[in-house]
Amino acid sequence: MTRRVHPGAWWLWALGLATAATRTTDPLLLLLVGAVTGTVVAVRRTDDPWARAYGMFLRIGLFVVVVRLVFGAVFAAQAPGTTLVTLPSVTLPSWMAGLRVGGPVTAEGLTVAGYDALRLATVLVCVGAANALAAPSRLLKSVPGALYEVGVAVVVAMTFAPQAVAHVRRVRDAQRLRGRADRGIRSLRRLAMPVLEGALDRSVQLAAAMDARGYGRTAAVPRARRRATAALVLGGLLAVCAGLYGLLDGQAPAALGTPVLLAGTVCAAAGLWLGGRRSPRTRYRPDPWALPEWVTGGSGVLAAAAMTVAGLIGTDGLRPVPGTVPGLPALPAAGVLVALAPVLLRRIRA
Amino acid sequence: MSPVRTRGRSGAATVPVRLRARSGAALLLVSLAGLVAFCWPLLVAPGARIAQSTFAPWIFVLLLPLLLAVALAEVAEGGIDAKAIALLGVLGAVGAALRPLGTSVAGFEPMFFVLVHGGRVLGRGFGYLLGSVTMFASALITAGVGPWLPYQILGAAWVGFFAGCLPRRPRGRLEIAMLAAYGAVAAFLYGWLQNLGLWPFAGGMSSSISFHPGAPLTDNLGRFVAFDLATSLGFDLPRAVFTAILVAVTGRPVLLALRRAARRAAFEAPPGRRPADGRADGERPDHGNVDHERPQHGRADDGHVDGGRADQEQVDDGPVDGGRADHGPVGDGGTGDGR
Repeated sequence: MTRRVHPGAWWLWALGLATAATRTTDPLLLLLVGAVTGTVVAVRRTDDPWARAYGMFLRIGLFVVVVRLVFGAVFAAQAPGTTLVTLPSVTLPSWMAGLRVGGPVTAEGLTVAGYDALRLATVLVCVGAANALAAPSRLLKSVPGALYEVGVAVVVAMTFAPQAVAHVRRVRDAQRLRGRADRGIRSLRRLAMPVLEGALDRSVQLAAAMDARGYGRTAAVPRARRRATAALVLGGLLAVCAGLYGLLDGQAPAALGTPVLLAGTVCAAAGLWLGGRRSPRTRYRPDPWALPEWVTGGSGVLAAAAMTVAGLIGTDGLRPVPGTVPGLPALPAAGVLVALAPVLLRRIRA
Repeated sequence: MSPVRTRGRSGAATVPVRLRARSGAALLLVSLAGLVAFCWPLLVAPGARIAQSTFAPWIFVLLLPLLLAVALAEVAEGGIDAKAIALLGVLGAVGAALRPLGTSVAGFEPMFFVLVHGGRVLGRGFGYLLGSVTMFASALITAGVGPWLPYQILGAAWVGFFAGCLPRRPRGRLEIAMLAAYGAVAAFLYGWLQNLGLWPFAGGMSSSISFHPGAPLTDNLGRFVAFDLATSLGFDLPRAVFTAILVAVTGRPVLLALRRAARRAAFEAPPGRRPADGRADGERPDHGNVDHERPQHGRADDGHVDGGRADQEQVDDGPVDGGRADHGPVGDGGTGDGR
């Protein structure tokens, strides 16, 4: 049987492609990114229920494109260009910024809106590919130690939710058999109470089971490490807030923006790691990070890197001007094609 | 049905997750940064460099998961015992299971009443965790992890947190009325904030109702109101009304059930001094059997069974209390830090 690739590798791959997509508005490149994710999902998808997520995200992406085009037409900014059609226009009152709704719709305006929407849709499709390929329960296994308790609670919630749904169905059937209405807000109360009571009963049983198996215990933490964790977390968060202020305020010195934000992020992450030391756990059958993971994750990172480098050296065609025919720049396209690598891994066996 | 409890009625016994000064400070900072993530289109100043970058909305999408992880780790920092984890997971499951019911009706979000009642009874720290766990689990179940998820988690966490911050005093009808009013306001603000977070993504930069970086606040606010009218106000208002009705209708029985569960679990009960019915959590620790259904009237019988096994359970409880005793010094160290 083929070994499942670490879910983190799939997320890295998908986020790499999504990053690549955010850095261009070239429709051909964006469609290429979408095609790459589609191919990989088609080849590597499993029969698990979450594998259907890709189609759902594809539909959301289409919806985004349609909505943005409608917005672009109805709430068109006064963009110069060829007028396609003139809609009846209304001017809103001044407390709504005196906007004008309707008016002339230009081809250039629609093209810009369409490119922008396609970019967002592509990012969503990349995320949908990650949803379809990465097993959520395995992803939860790799949460940092500081989030151990919360991670366990999420696992419990995910395990019990299908049972709760089944319980809802059972109670509803019982109400129907008694000849009571199963619609309306009052029936919801009759439905919710037995489900809730059942859930609370189960939580007591579950807590006993978990207690008996040693869940929820924490290791003794030296005072110095505790203080270091607190300092890192609070200092990091303060720096993040200061960095955000620097980014949003026009008069703030440039040094207060991105560098402080990055430093704060690193500090907070370090605090998170140090805080995880209070619950040392060993792992039963950990997911390995071996060659398939390196190839999968690495191909996504390469795609993002190629697009970023192309943007930095000023490759033509990353942001096509409306009214011209978009091309397919070589370097970014090659980078995106590298992300097809997971298709080749199909036959690697553990 | 259930025997009358006289002990464990004090407020402290029903707080499964205590927030210390350090956790509170971390939550405040994360909430501040989170509020900026929602509202930055209204706050951004004319000359700011972030205003020119098309990457700007994504900065927050990348930043929020880390901030949320830090916030949740800090809330859980004092250690959460198994009973609280189980209650958190099971209530989260109920919320996540109720959520798909709402997608068929415009703006109807049945999840919120679990958050409002849960936060009210079990405290703000628990409410914060409950909101996050419910949203996250529901996204994982439906495989709907997207850029919107951090915003939704933050919003739901706030709904649970502030439900736990409401004044303690009102009980009875007044309490239900207060919770229903809070539910309406929270549901409306939740939708409004989600819409605000969506604005830079949805509007693009090209239409007249998209935000114009650096324009005066009133100008952008007007644009946002227009955007809100065009997109989600038709969902937000019904959601607020639905939530209020649902909270009011379910209020009494749900609050009673949660209070009973909280007393039964005896959170933070001192070792060796459990309430009389505390042994209920010493029930058969049978993990594989958790989905087995029990008729409502059977609970009195269980009491008898437990009574019969009480001696045996007492032995089992030994290490549990030992584990809790280990917490003592840790907790003291924490308050030492706070000083």
